[in-house]
Amino acid sequence: MNQLAIDNLTFAYTPRQTTLKDVTLKIPTDSWTLFYGASGSGKSTLMRLLAGLLPKYGGKILQGKLQLPDGLTVAMMFQDPGMQFALDTPQHELEFALENLQLPSSEMPARIEHALKFCGIEHLCDRQLTTMSSGEQQRAALAVLVAMDTDILLLDEPFASIDNHNRSLLIHQLTLLQEKYHKTIIVADHDLHGYRGLAKQIIHFENQHAQLLDAAASDALLKSADQLAATVHHVKLPTASDQPILTLKNVVIEHGNEKLITANDFSFFKNQTTLLTGATGTGKSSLFKAITHLASYQGIISYDGKDSQKIKPRRYAQQVGYVFQHAVDQFLNVTVKEELALSLKKGQNPYFDDEHLTAALRLLGLSKLQDRVVYSLSGGQQKKLQLLLMLMMGQPVLLLDEPFSGLDFHSLHNVVDLIKTSQKIYPQTMIIISHQLEGLEKLIDRHVKLADGRLSYREEF
Amino acid sequence: MAKKNNKFHLRDIILLALVGIIFGVIYWAAAFMYNALTIVFTPLKLPMMGNDLTMGLWCMAGPMAGFMLKKPGAPFLGEFLGAAGEALIGDQWGAANLISGAVQGIASELGFTLTGYKHYDWLGAVATTITTTIVTFAWDWFRNGYNKFGFKNVYYFSGRLLSMFFFCGVLVMLIERLLERSHVMKREEFND
Amino acid sequence: MNPSFKLLLVLIIALEVSFTRHLTINLVLIAVTIIYLLTKRIRPRLFGWLFLMPLFPAIAVFITIAWFSPGHDYFYAWVLFSRIYVYVFTGAAITQTTSPLELTRSLEQNLHLPSKFAYGTLAAVNLIPRIKMTVKTIRAAGQMRGIYLSWWSPTLYFKAILHAITWSDQLAQAMESHGYVEDRARTSVHQIALTTRDWLILIVSIILIQIITFALP
Repeated sequence: MNQLAIDNLTFAYTPRQTTLKDVTLKIPTDSWTLFYGASGSGKSTLMRLLAGLLPKYGGKILQGKLQLPDGLTVAMMFQDPGMQFALDTPQHELEFALENLQLPSSEMPARIEHALKFCGIEHLCDRQLTTMSSGEQQRAALAVLVAMDTDILLLDEPFASIDNHNRSLLIHQLTLLQEKYHKTIIVADHDLHGYRGLAKQIIHFENQHAQLLDAAASDALLKSADQLAATVHHVKLPTASDQPILTLKNVVIEHGNEKLITANDFSFFKNQTTLLTGATGTGKSSLFKAITHLASYQGIISYDGKDSQKIKPRRYAQQVGYVFQHAVDQFLNVTVKEELALSLKKGQNPYFDDEHLTAALRLLGLSKLQDRVVYSLSGGQQKKLQLLLMLMMGQPVLLLDEPFSGLDFHSLHNVVDLIKTSQKIYPQTMIIISHQLEGLEKLIDRHVKLADGRLSYREEF
Repeated sequence: MAKKNNKFHLRDIILLALVGIIFGVIYWAAAFMYNALTIVFTPLKLPMMGNDLTMGLWCMAGPMAGFMLKKPGAPFLGEFLGAAGEALIGDQWGAANLISGAVQGIASELGFTLTGYKHYDWLGAVATTITTTIVTFAWDWFRNGYNKFGFKNVYYFSGRLLSMFFFCGVLVMLIERLLERSHVMKREEFND
Repeated sequence: MNPSFKLLLVLIIALEVSFTRHLTINLVLIAVTIIYLLTKRIRPRLFGWLFLMPLFPAIAVFITIAWFSPGHDYFYAWVLFSRIYVYVFTGAAITQTTSPLELTRSLEQNLHLPSKFAYGTLAAVNLIPRIKMTVKTIRAAGQMRGIYLSWWSPTLYFKAILHAITWSDQLAQAMESHGYVEDRARTSVHQIALTTRDWLILIVSIILIQIITFALP
């Protein structure tokens, strides 16, 4: 048998809700396959099933079965680069993995050396993993799979948080693993750009189903992904009348010992909605963390003309709000109702009176979910609730890190409407990081691009 | 009812160690409390009061682990693995903490044992509060010279009981209620 | 010396000094560990830290016994004062000379501790930087919603534990993906030797401690 066979599979994490339904697929070995679909569509679930991690770690196969070719080994690489190592350095993690495989110690050094060299991280072998960039961590994770000489490599959104340089290095190594060593490679991604010519087949995940796309459909999808990134919208550059609200003076932001951003004199302007773009891994989130004092930086970041470090933390938190990338990080209570009550009590945005709040909840499809536990909501519902809670807080400056990810087009449209309406009554400065650009034209006043460690205003996005 | 799985798997062990370490990390943010309380109580001729009043904070990981996993051995492991974790990162109290971690672990385990591992409720919380107070006090009797304090031990014992009740009883129960309401520990919904 | 045996010796010492009241043995143990640490070329700053860090609790114990307890037993006060330094210095003798991984490997190989305990704890330890960052983020999330989460706030612990639940799930799966299987035999890249010399050092040390404790004043 030279394929991974998934036969009529239905899987659920909880009795109430199935994640995959009647999925039948045949994935050929010795080839490269893409799992494509929005977040929460079940790509990651199927991968974990193939890796044998599910249902062991939760959920239940309600019907059907999976079958892997006899004797082939499987290993997985995960989306969160920092959450896949038991040990402190790449060298130690490689040793750990080979010890697990019960490899004789005499064979280990050669294997480890080869894997490190293959992934180009010999120089990092004794570095602490926690001080490495996400891209370096993912290369170390790949090195482990290379050393283990795994036959089937499953990669769950491996490029989600890494820079382009490391992404292309990894893709190159994966291509080599596939073509030269005949490995079976399956990558899950919500973004298909840059995969043309690599993937032999694409499997599309939607509404609990998964199906293999034919060659024409695959090609059209890959082509449109590359084109989508190239659609251009026009915005204005800052004008002389714009008032600075956040100013970075001689600011240097680092991660580990890698310099991410240098800004000698750069301002974000009051009551404007600024889109912040830049390739993944360039440090956009690090900039937000520096502004909110969650990460250290050199130089001065001033708010409304005053060094932000000299403002009392409690007061500063009422001036600059951070809408975190992971919605659950924003929640402090258990139910939707409790979360809303807290923001209603402490919020300063006058737009959200009882009437407008009710309308907003209806608009976002949250009205009937008031008694639900926030952690049991779907990814999209969590995102919408999170955004509403922070809009209600109404800090004069709001930093939004990927606020639209996981939203369908209809939800995105409603969310943008809500922000616009609120802004009319209560103007706020917003800085938005988003890889999703379609549907934002109405919202965006300015565009800042982060490239080569520098921030600059651009006329198009 | 299905047979309850009382074995500790890798995931449980990592979780218990993490919980222990989290309590340790937050405790260090409050370490000034020990010093402040000691300074306040020294003029009252009760310098050890800081030790007794903060003791509950040290012992929270045990009952918390018991409430979370509801298995025999969890309170001990929660307390002990946290201490082991601190020892492993080279914390200077490390090796000595290994012993106090074990003592505190046994102490909180005992409360759940005495209630037959059936009371993950107020009764269990009160039981573990009492056993933790008595066992750690007995330990300090030898180790920190409490055998010499005479009648002042009444104050010290009361202070410790109060601290245990607040941190290991009330606070742990409040956290447990939040976890319970969030349904996050229901990993095996299908296995019932 | 073998890391497990070193740990064993330090634990035996800690237990023994906890249950005896003998100033000489405490002072001898402190002196020996200081010499041991000096031969291992420990930074002078660390010595300063080792002296200062336990000073406050040590003084608290001292004055409680010497001034505020019925017997005003100065000798016992010094015993307890020095006892705290025995704990700290012998502890440093391990942490400053053995890496967590060496100790883990030794416990696995020499004392046959189940590997899931050894590596499970180690994996958790490697998350400490992230735990600190997370606690910071939780407090920031609180402040931005207008509430202050102090160290006795249930919400702070609740949110941190939620993260721990997710992390333990992810880490366990990642370790399995790296070939780890509970209770299955593993090979070892570095054999941690357990020699006759280690046995000798352990036994002789314990005998010497007994002689000093029971034969000397």
